[in-house]
Amino acid sequence: MLNYLIRRLLYMVPILLGVMFITFALFNVVNTPRQMAYRILGPKASVQAIDNWLNNHGYVDKEGKELPTFFNTAPGKNPFDSLYFRSMKRFATFDMGRSFATDEPVMTMIRRGALPSLCITLPAFVVGLFLALSASLLLVFVRDSLIDRWGTVLCVASMSIPITVYVIYGQLVAAKIFPWFPAFGFNLEGFSTVRFIALPVVIMLISGLGADVRMYRAIFLEEVRAEYIRTAQAKGASHARVLLVHMLKNGMISVITLVVAALPFLIMGTLVLESFFGIPGLGNLMTNAIQTSDFGVIQADVYLGSLLYLFGLLATDICYAAVDPRIRLQ
Amino acid sequence: MNGKRTILFLSRLLAGLALLTALGGCNNNPHPRPLHSKRVDGNPWVVSYLRLPDDPRSLDPQVSYDVFGNIVITQIYESLLQYSPFKTDPYELEPCLAEEMPRRIKNPDGTETYEIHLKRGLFFQDDPCFPGGRGREMTAADFVYTFQRIADPAVECPVLSNLQEFIAGLGPAYLEARKAGKFDYAKPTGALTVVDDHTFRLNLLKPYPQIQYWLAMPFTAPVPREAVEYYNGKNGRDFFKFHPVGCGPYRVAEWSRSRLIRLVRHERYTATRFPTGGWPQTDEARFRPIAGAALPFVDELQLAVIRESIPAWLLFRQGYLDRSGISKDVFNSVITAGQTLSRDLSARGVKLYSDVEPATFYTQFNMEDHVVGKNILLRQALSTAYNEEQANTLFGSGLWVKAEQLLPPGVIGHDPHFTNPYRTQNLAQAEALLKQAGYPKAIAPKTSQPLTLTLEVIANSAEERQMAEFDQGQIQQLGLRCKIEENTFARFQDKQITGHFQMNTGSGWNADYPDPENFFALFYSKNIPPQGSNNTRFSNPEFDRLFERMSTMDNSPERLNIIRQLNAILVEQCPVILGFHRVVFTLYQPWVRRVSSNAMLLEGGGMKYVSLDAALRAKKIREWNRTSTWPLWTLAGVIALVIGYALARARKSNL
Amino acid sequence: MPIWLSNLLILTGCAAFAALLRAFLFTERSRRALNRLRRDRVGVVCAVLIALFLLAGLADCLQLHPRQSLLDYAFRNVPREAGYSAPLARVTFNERDPKPLQGRHLFGTDLLGKDVLLQTLKGCKTALIIGGLTSLIYIPVGALLGILGGYYRRWVDDIVQYLYSTLASIPGILLLVAVMMTLGKGLDRMAIALSITAWIGLCRLVRGETFRQAAKPYVEAARALGQSHTRILLFHILPNVMHLVIINAILGFSGLVLAETILSYLGVGAPVGTPSWGIMIDSARMELSREPAVWWPLSAASGALFVLVLSLNLLGDSLRRAFDPKAG
Repeated sequence: MLNYLIRRLLYMVPILLGVMFITFALFNVVNTPRQMAYRILGPKASVQAIDNWLNNHGYVDKEGKELPTFFNTAPGKNPFDSLYFRSMKRFATFDMGRSFATDEPVMTMIRRGALPSLCITLPAFVVGLFLALSASLLLVFVRDSLIDRWGTVLCVASMSIPITVYVIYGQLVAAKIFPWFPAFGFNLEGFSTVRFIALPVVIMLISGLGADVRMYRAIFLEEVRAEYIRTAQAKGASHARVLLVHMLKNGMISVITLVVAALPFLIMGTLVLESFFGIPGLGNLMTNAIQTSDFGVIQADVYLGSLLYLFGLLATDICYAAVDPRIRLQ
Repeated sequence: MNGKRTILFLSRLLAGLALLTALGGCNNNPHPRPLHSKRVDGNPWVVSYLRLPDDPRSLDPQVSYDVFGNIVITQIYESLLQYSPFKTDPYELEPCLAEEMPRRIKNPDGTETYEIHLKRGLFFQDDPCFPGGRGREMTAADFVYTFQRIADPAVECPVLSNLQEFIAGLGPAYLEARKAGKFDYAKPTGALTVVDDHTFRLNLLKPYPQIQYWLAMPFTAPVPREAVEYYNGKNGRDFFKFHPVGCGPYRVAEWSRSRLIRLVRHERYTATRFPTGGWPQTDEARFRPIAGAALPFVDELQLAVIRESIPAWLLFRQGYLDRSGISKDVFNSVITAGQTLSRDLSARGVKLYSDVEPATFYTQFNMEDHVVGKNILLRQALSTAYNEEQANTLFGSGLWVKAEQLLPPGVIGHDPHFTNPYRTQNLAQAEALLKQAGYPKAIAPKTSQPLTLTLEVIANSAEERQMAEFDQGQIQQLGLRCKIEENTFARFQDKQITGHFQMNTGSGWNADYPDPENFFALFYSKNIPPQGSNNTRFSNPEFDRLFERMSTMDNSPERLNIIRQLNAILVEQCPVILGFHRVVFTLYQPWVRRVSSNAMLLEGGGMKYVSLDAALRAKKIREWNRTSTWPLWTLAGVIALVIGYALARARKSNL
Repeated sequence: MPIWLSNLLILTGCAAFAALLRAFLFTERSRRALNRLRRDRVGVVCAVLIALFLLAGLADCLQLHPRQSLLDYAFRNVPREAGYSAPLARVTFNERDPKPLQGRHLFGTDLLGKDVLLQTLKGCKTALIIGGLTSLIYIPVGALLGILGGYYRRWVDDIVQYLYSTLASIPGILLLVAVMMTLGKGLDRMAIALSITAWIGLCRLVRGETFRQAAKPYVEAARALGQSHTRILLFHILPNVMHLVIINAILGFSGLVLAETILSYLGVGAPVGTPSWGIMIDSARMELSREPAVWWPLSAASGALFVLVLSLNLLGDSLRRAFDPKAG
């Protein structure tokens, strides 16, 4: 087990290097540092101001020449003295660097945005899991009936609406029909924080329910055909017991792996939702960074996202092995 | 794990959560509670709720050059001079921190000096950076420090290159600091000479009457040294740019990034009071009672950061924003389809104001391009084909002001009676000009194909896309072909600076200060990028000669004459297709008493004059936000029915 | 390119595509699946709807004049107005100065006066191009890499896994936006950008299935008979993973069309002047906050999008059931 873990962790390193390589290539080709400086200082900035900015942000070396992106081929220089390797050295120690637009340490920005994002995604996830499981169990219970067919169509229909439409319409409708909760805004004030997350959580639930129900339904349908169900029924178990005790427990293997894979992303937040509801979370941070081409934040975000994804994969594999004794990790 | 018990437990948990949610708020007010409920003297604490379309990047007055930063900075920092709130045609300056207008002294060696007297008893805001937490009195030394900061390379002041040309000592101080790696604040720059605590002299290298406008901008606002040194980011303290301390009417009580900025009145603010006259006759009844009153009227300003326009509009309709329309570009569409307010809004008592900005927007030609740059008739033809009225109807709701000349209204030299012969759509004349230009019926004789022009645009938002499509249509009216090149903001800037474009649109110039020199500098040949902002690369010796003469002249009939000649050259040469002067739309709720219609102040400086009726606001909010519960019950009922039906039908069948 | 040539090419392309499809569905398994599909009413309805969308897209591709497609010709009597107008209204949507309309518009007109129904139908072409072009790129790449990785294992599989792990680790939106900003705007560039993220899912699926197939006895038997790897891959493995590819292609198509709306929201969608549902939905942010609100472009575009994506999803489900009735 330990060997497996170490191997997996080592395997993450080339992937992270590859990920950051692609990111650097894309962003430094799109926006040269000089263009980024213009973007940040404004179109009226003078040449002097731009040079100054480049100097203050480590884009030029001591002689004032601009640093290359990947490999430093200038004579007499360390070939690894480039933007890419400097950043990788920083990331190895988890120093997330600074934002280019505001000079704030990115770690502070992340820490600040994590809680609001979690306030939305965590409740939506937990409640969504509960509702999806219940709904899918219900559909399996009444399978092949009219409700099942229409239920499936409804699920697919709800998957066919883009998230932007959900959010735009949802916000307008909710503000008119349910004016108990603010249509916008976020403020941490203990219990009352709940009123700010009510609408976004509801919209997130509605938009995600369809896909989840469909997936869980497929999983549970596989179980229904198993022989142990028929045995339980022959033994006289009630429908509820069969459903909830036998099917749920066996289906949970697949469900858990799906759930664990999704957990790390709870922290990243949802872009569109946070933007429209004014939740100052990590999704908002990312949208902002993209729109202002703030490469300092983008680098750190990509790094964080990749780490979370890889850890999620690892956790999924471990969970799968833990829950299903037939699986052995190599 | 017993499934049944788990289900029961989870259901109870869910019901409990729902109850909590219901208790937590049957109230859709998105704003946090105000800091206090009463003032020190017992009067109610007045709060105003406003919108910021984006987080400011920096609240350092010597650094910030973006709109959102300025809205907040002008509340916290005040400068020597300010724009008079009631004079808009032309804009006028009046003393703010200064006792009187600076005295101009012409020195025999060609340099100039301005003598400035500060008001007494002006205090900085209370802040932990001062000993005992009490703000100290502002003195002339603070201005010396401010100008030193402008020259400090580490501060990154974006207007240093503009100022160092005219103010003594800034340029050399910057170079020295670059070489040494650090700015030496112990060494004076020579820009200011201190006479005593409340008097100092500003030394100029040559005559520059526009320096007065710079003295009204936050760049020259006094900054306490203690704050800059205390807020250095160490020991858990913020950076200075996130923790401003000035002597303006408001101080920052809270800044939750990307969410809210809370400004609270500065208790010892005495620099200015409500004017005692100068307002339009129609407002006499409104303003006479508060003439000379102490400012500001509102105790707390809550600026919510709302990036999307739909939620902002929603909040305005619910009554949770006192006004809608601070930023110039976002709210063009959050407005009625007609020139007057819709019946619904006017029945509520909402008021619409439109103020012309001191800005001009236009489509630029690249004068170095071999097709459009060398062909004056082609440019005139394109200019005559463009239908500004239709663009106004589609994108400006009919409220823009068509630009007949480069200078916008409010700037000295703007001629309200001037009509530009190439800016009224006349397709017949345009075709004739096109033929004279060498392209009869838009066919280029060399290729026997219609001439194709390339138009660079930034088209990230829906509105920008629609405008680009419209511009393309305008050019194609003449039979020409127009290719649209979409760019990111960075690429667009890059092409402008390096000159790799034929035509581009979406550019314009927003006045730094309302002097014609600021606009005509855009066509001065020495300002071709990267030296300056002459993106069209216009170069005309006659224009240059006249510009150099008038740029530092005092306003006089002779100067106006030169301005008229400059304008005539630009009209004839047509380096740009003039578009419009943008109008700032603001919707005010019925409980807000608006004061100033000065566009130079609109962003921020006018807020200290605003007052509102909080009782009326509370009443209207209750009226506009009545709740109805029937949809929730219907939905719950439907779900219950479905589940019940399903269970009933399946009860009999096998699993 | 002269019009008749481009029309000919388009029609030949369609014919070729139809022939290819027929060839692939020639196996016994596929014919059985199709029989089952015919009895599934929902599947049939969805297939018909999708065919209608394809026809609309095709009508916009075939050109009669340099700037007039077949679809434009059908709408030739619908004039262009000055500005917004509500569905079936008689005057323009302007309280101050309503001008009488020159024609009737079933779904109203947009800001520049173009008929919304026409724009929505033209949007079919954009959606189909994006989905189709992306599919043309990502399906061969994903399937090929998946099969190779699943069959050859060892270092080939390691490379394939490294490739898709790296790309999958980058947050999808960031990657899409960054690639779009590098490549510039254009439907073909969008197709390239979308295919970079789309091939991963297919590759994983095909790789898993190839593992399973390669372990089956008939493959061992084929090796014993001396068949080359290429022959095995082409004639044994490929036909047996094909059903996965087809189902993934159909479901993926709907995902691609939906992805276009998010890209438009972030500002890197279809180029200016191209009618696209994503742009119409994104414009709604501005239009819905007008007073009174302009709701018809959003409704038309999201309605069309919804019907197409729903049909694709339901058809994909029906196909899955048709190929494997136990998987209901």
